[in-house]
Amino acid sequence: MNKIHFDQLQETLYHQKLENGLNVYVLPKEGFSKTYVTFTTKYGSVDRTFIPRGGKELVTVPDGIAHFLEHKMFEKEDGDVFQQFSENAAAANAFTSFTRTSYLFSSTSELYENTKTLLDFVQQPYFTEKTVEKEKGIIAQEITMYDDQADWRQYFGTIENLFENHPVRIDIAGTVETIQDITAEHLYECYETFYHPSNMVFFAVGNVNPEEMMKFVEQDQQAKSFEVPEPVVRSFPNEPDYAAKKRSELYMDVSKPKLMVGTKCRNTDMSGKDMLIRELASDVTLDILFGRSSDFFTQAYNEGLIDESFAYEFNLENGFGFAAIGSDTEKPDELEKLIKRVLDDAKNNWSITDEQLERIRKKRIGLFMRALNSPEYIANQFTHYNFNEMNLFDVVPVLEGLTTDQLKAAYDDLYYEDGQTIMTIYPSEQSK
Amino acid sequence: MFHKTELQSGVNLYTRQTAQFKTVSVAIKFTAPLTEENAAARTVLANVLEDSSAHYPTRTKLRQALEELYGAVYYTDTSKRGNEHIFTIYAESVNEEYLRNPEMPVFEQLLTLVTESLFKPNLKDDLFDEAIVEREKQTVIDRIGSIYNDKTRFANKRMLELIRSGQPASLSASGTEKAVAAITKESLKATYDQMLSDDTIDIYILGDVDVDQLTDRAKTLFPFTKGTRKSVPVTVSKMSEEVPTAKHIRERQEMKQGKLNMAFSTPVGFKHPDYPKMQMMNGVLGGFAHSKLFINVREKESLAYYCSSSYASHYGLLYIMSGIDAEQEEKTAALIDQQIEALRNGDISDLEIRQTLALLSNSIRSSFDSAKGQIEIYDQYKLLDENFSSDKLIEKWERVTKEDIQEMAALLTKEITYLLSGREAMDHE
Repeated sequence: MNKIHFDQLQETLYHQKLENGLNVYVLPKEGFSKTYVTFTTKYGSVDRTFIPRGGKELVTVPDGIAHFLEHKMFEKEDGDVFQQFSENAAAANAFTSFTRTSYLFSSTSELYENTKTLLDFVQQPYFTEKTVEKEKGIIAQEITMYDDQADWRQYFGTIENLFENHPVRIDIAGTVETIQDITAEHLYECYETFYHPSNMVFFAVGNVNPEEMMKFVEQDQQAKSFEVPEPVVRSFPNEPDYAAKKRSELYMDVSKPKLMVGTKCRNTDMSGKDMLIRELASDVTLDILFGRSSDFFTQAYNEGLIDESFAYEFNLENGFGFAAIGSDTEKPDELEKLIKRVLDDAKNNWSITDEQLERIRKKRIGLFMRALNSPEYIANQFTHYNFNEMNLFDVVPVLEGLTTDQLKAAYDDLYYEDGQTIMTIYPSEQSK
Repeated sequence: MFHKTELQSGVNLYTRQTAQFKTVSVAIKFTAPLTEENAAARTVLANVLEDSSAHYPTRTKLRQALEELYGAVYYTDTSKRGNEHIFTIYAESVNEEYLRNPEMPVFEQLLTLVTESLFKPNLKDDLFDEAIVEREKQTVIDRIGSIYNDKTRFANKRMLELIRSGQPASLSASGTEKAVAAITKESLKATYDQMLSDDTIDIYILGDVDVDQLTDRAKTLFPFTKGTRKSVPVTVSKMSEEVPTAKHIRERQEMKQGKLNMAFSTPVGFKHPDYPKMQMMNGVLGGFAHSKLFINVREKESLAYYCSSSYASHYGLLYIMSGIDAEQEEKTAALIDQQIEALRNGDISDLEIRQTLALLSNSIRSSFDSAKGQIEIYDQYKLLDENFSSDKLIEKWERVTKEDIQEMAALLTKEITYLLSGREAMDHE
């Protein structure tokens, strides 16, 4: 077992890679009542074309299958796994993103009973045609719920505009139509390929004894048999360095128009420290240009171009990345011009100063320290970084070392000719 | 868990020294009666105080100062609890112990920034700046309007307006667009003065700091004028004497999903001795993934992705919310009714009771794992018991029996079934 102490953060991380390839991490947090435990596979909605375990040819599975599989993991021959978690006082959940599927629980007692339930239910699939059919109605309602949410539609509409081929452009849950094609056989195929322990990470944080937990997981895994680890072969289509669609619009029942500017990241085939520098440099640059202390924010807010809904974010994974900047606005055309002007100015007349960088650097370091209060943040963010060979605990040193040149380099790959899109939602006729 | 010090009548300081978090937090809560006008004025005031101060007279300067303090948090917010309106200032900074170059005491500087923003606001000729006031009025109006875009929240708001029009249960903590529009820079200054002189005030400080030293300085840090600060009298929302006939209302909007909601009234409120029993009943009915609503409406019949109940104890109400295909309205409503009927008939297993007790206990214990959670939970439960602890509450849940749950279910009176949907044919009823 490796023990890694982070002096400045006063945190100690324990790590062990088990024989079957599973990476186990434990981070004890003193004073906490709960333990938050996640069991995550590097498998998300973008993994739609791959060579199934034991196969030779690439296959493409129906859209929405990773999310569908996540739902179905909870149902077993003898009933619903939620029942077991409830009985042992754990709140359980799961989520599927573009690149990960995570199963988790949080409890203040019965830690090992719940850990056993988590490991067992994720490692013992049970799918039948009947249970798969039954789930279609539930997921259809989940998709329909999101269809009525303008923010969600705008976010995914922006991504769809940006990407021509990459499966990040497809809704994580698929559509009511695509999920109809999903069968129990598909689910087993995806399960066998992506749920091997060597493609997964286990993370426990909070009120936990690291030696005990490590031993518990190791013994549990030793008692189960697994196939030999095999690398997963995924295939992604080529993605050009331009936005697939310059703009799109949608009419929905909203009180005010909504504008979102999307910009696509190029040269995203990276991992490790380079990726962490790129991610943090992009975050810091956007913060300087659009944050609450920026000239942009002051002008846009005072002129009534943005309101409290204004937000921006940057997302980077191996193979794709994008930034999205948006707000509810009565003046979408003017807001679009102003955002474009700020982005163009930064490109044509780079003028980010050391003073600005220093201030946002401090802000980001503080933000990270505060986030370490949250077991949820630590587990989820650590896993995301781990799958991209980055280390969460490098965030502070990398922030401390960031230079304006690194900011400039990140920005050159974030904002360039033809890499942008505009997505606008207008109130439909019926809305007032 | 918190140590209480009375600074003056109606102004209390609650401190807690703990090394659990890497941060130090402060919250200041002002409580006044909830009315439409009060809610509107205090929400605009919250935004105006968050904008700038005499020392940092522009939004940019104030925000830059916070960034220099390692991204310290400072914000204001308003909320409601029963017939009380609560104005909260919340601030949090990293404990300098974790910073490599603590060239300055971060929390001390933040505390100065917060108290200055409160006691020395950005005034011109003793009034707030008109441009800022007008802009923040617009921001609050936009916030009130934006609930329209969230159909789940909108459906619940409409349902409450239909059964509790003009009463605290249906009032927004931000007031109404009309009441916000009526605010002037003069009226806002009066709101500010009144809040400082008349409200009851609770101050919380939590973190790894010298709380004794802070307590000694509290009267200087928070120089509130001495006045008569009366707590808001508790009034339980009045129900008419006769059992009301349940309303059945359908409304339409352009949307795909149907939002089927129900509301039930109950004589058991937050301060009622049976409050823990009602919490258990709500948990068995629809608070969790093992609850009757989730199991029967979602898992067995695949009618919904979400179908849950929540107990608004300060208003004596219990809501059920679900998202369904509107064509399935009758079927779903009947199934929900069956679950309540089952509880009334005592169709409650030991397992359901055990699971609910376990998850309620886990939830209250877990909420103490965040600084804000500790402040908010304690702030609510101190009304029942100043020495509140999660274990005391858990003990009360442990004593709840199947018969208690049955009895609580019998006390529910359905007031409304409400469907918001894009459904075309609204032929019957």
